[in-house]
Amino acid sequence: MATQHSRAAARLMISPAVLLLLGWMLIPLAMTIYFSFLRYNLLMPGMEEFTGWTNYRFFLTDPAFKAALINTLLLVGGVLLITSVGGVLLALLLDQPFWGQGVVRIMVIAPFFVMPTVSALVWKNMFMNPVNGLFGHFAQSLGLAPFDFLSQAPLASIIGIVSWQWLPFATLILLTALQSLDQEQLEAAEMDGAGPLSRFFYIMLPHLARAITVVILIQTIFLLSIFAEIFVTTSGGPGTASTNLTFLIFLETPAALRRGHGLGRGRGRDHPGQHRRDLPDADDRQEPGRVRMTRGAANRPQIRSARADRTGAPPAAAHASGGRIWRKMKVGEE
Amino acid sequence: MGRITLDQVTKSFGEVNVIPPLDLTIEDGEFVVFVGPSGCGKSTLLRLIAGLEDVSSGQIRIDGEDATDKRPADRGLAMVFQSYALYPHMSVRKNIAFPMKMAGVPEDEQKRRIDGAAAALNLTDYLDRRPGQLSGGQRQRVAIGRAIVREPQAFLFDEPLSNLDAALRVGMRLEISELHKRLATTMIYVTHDQVEAMTMADKIVVLRAGYIEQVGTPLELYRTPRNRFVAGFIGSPRMNFIEGETAAAKGAFAVGVRPEHIAASTESGTWQGKVGVAEHLGSDTFLHVHDTGLADVLTVRVDGELPVRHGDRIFLTPEEDKIHRFDAEGHRL
Repeated sequence: MATQHSRAAARLMISPAVLLLLGWMLIPLAMTIYFSFLRYNLLMPGMEEFTGWTNYRFFLTDPAFKAALINTLLLVGGVLLITSVGGVLLALLLDQPFWGQGVVRIMVIAPFFVMPTVSALVWKNMFMNPVNGLFGHFAQSLGLAPFDFLSQAPLASIIGIVSWQWLPFATLILLTALQSLDQEQLEAAEMDGAGPLSRFFYIMLPHLARAITVVILIQTIFLLSIFAEIFVTTSGGPGTASTNLTFLIFLETPAALRRGHGLGRGRGRDHPGQHRRDLPDADDRQEPGRVRMTRGAANRPQIRSARADRTGAPPAAAHASGGRIWRKMKVGEE
Repeated sequence: MGRITLDQVTKSFGEVNVIPPLDLTIEDGEFVVFVGPSGCGKSTLLRLIAGLEDVSSGQIRIDGEDATDKRPADRGLAMVFQSYALYPHMSVRKNIAFPMKMAGVPEDEQKRRIDGAAAALNLTDYLDRRPGQLSGGQRQRVAIGRAIVREPQAFLFDEPLSNLDAALRVGMRLEISELHKRLATTMIYVTHDQVEAMTMADKIVVLRAGYIEQVGTPLELYRTPRNRFVAGFIGSPRMNFIEGETAAAKGAFAVGVRPEHIAASTESGTWQGKVGVAEHLGSDTFLHVHDTGLADVLTVRVDGELPVRHGDRIFLTPEEDKIHRFDAEGHRL
């Protein structure tokens, strides 16, 4: 019974959770908004000054911004289309009774458990690499020139990699939804003269509508922030061909040393191209002329970036402007 | 135009033989009820006729035409499912229109038939609602409406009333009977409730473990059950069975007497016993009589006003000409 007393008790009971939520979410959000209006440089602490909309203006007028926005939409839209259509088809397939169904279902889920960084590296080096990759070998065995996926069609390749990761998720949710469909409805439709296609479009698809919505909503949240896959494959290039908003923010904040950048400030004196060249993986972007790179050379940039990670310096900061700043910091500390 | 013949039809799921070879003829316009305990194969038999299951061997003929390998939609039969199987995302109107849409019936003809069915089933006010907004009885009527508009050669009902409450069940029972009188179309109706079978059927088919135990009109089954199973299944409350000396005296392994064929008295009678539970229905009272020395318990139907109470001594007299005799295998003598 909801008496006044019990309502007060309920409020008291949930208050710790509410306070925790306030502390954890509202304060960082408010601070982020506050900092985005400051010119804030970690190298010059105590020199913050209010700059109004400058940070926002810089970011929005960045020539890379429009490209990144379009890329983000293409990436999210492309992956959603592939995973929802492919997920429905795979779910229909897995719903059929066949030998070894249980094992196959578990194996289909497997890609979801592979870390994004790992799966992107596997795709990059073992499949899409024109020299060592399986696709390259396959093309050569047919007498065709190997296709350099990551430099010829960088965004499409990343869409492919991300779709491969998210297809199991969509399949799993849609398969569960499909199995909850009342068999008598399908039988009734069969009696009513509906063929397999009509049964799919009139009975199954409307039943799946809610599950498809869930798949799209959840995936959109995660797909908007795709980063690792871009970082380890194309580094956003060539040019801005595969830079999404998340990656652009990363580019705008060399080593996140100047916090204001990441929170909406423009890039100031540095050019994005410059950063991109400094990125650990930049050498690895294979221009057509450099396809025949030796294996060692192809791997070197990653080794270097790993080393940079171990020494504690964020990879982007290890070179050029970011690097300079980093070294200055070190000197300053000593 | 709705004569259905099953010729040596069998059905097995893997090793399990659900329907042994079975012959049955359902005449045009008949209301046939398949009745039997759960798991007796009555639903499977209906699904075989509908075409939702393939027969393992044998032949199904509809109007003399071999329909064994026809697709369900091509057999000209309409089915009403136990769960109603309405399409939840479609309005009532679209649900009813669905089979016509699939068959490519012209729009105005569709509308005419929907309006006709809706008027006949009191659904006119609900045509634009979704199934989720309807009560159980209304959903049942939508399912029947969806079957009617196809103008089928026969209707198949798979336990259609088992999800309804008792009062509604009686009402729908009448409606379906009335529908049959009006349409005069063949109807096959599956139920485990012998009251539904007795009240609705022109012909009852009693099934046990896939075998047809007896086929006949409700009163034939009531008056002359062919064996102990049918005798026990048809009639409510159940027939009393007495074995031993009393049966042997009549030259049988067991004798059966229906509760309504035993007269009860507080003074004198052939048998005597002690009153256990008395179920008062108002018009009648069902007495459960113990310690008769004949069977564990005898059920007796007495007048509702008979003044007996728990533990009272009571005398029972069976009507001699209404006693059924059975041999050791359970066959009627």
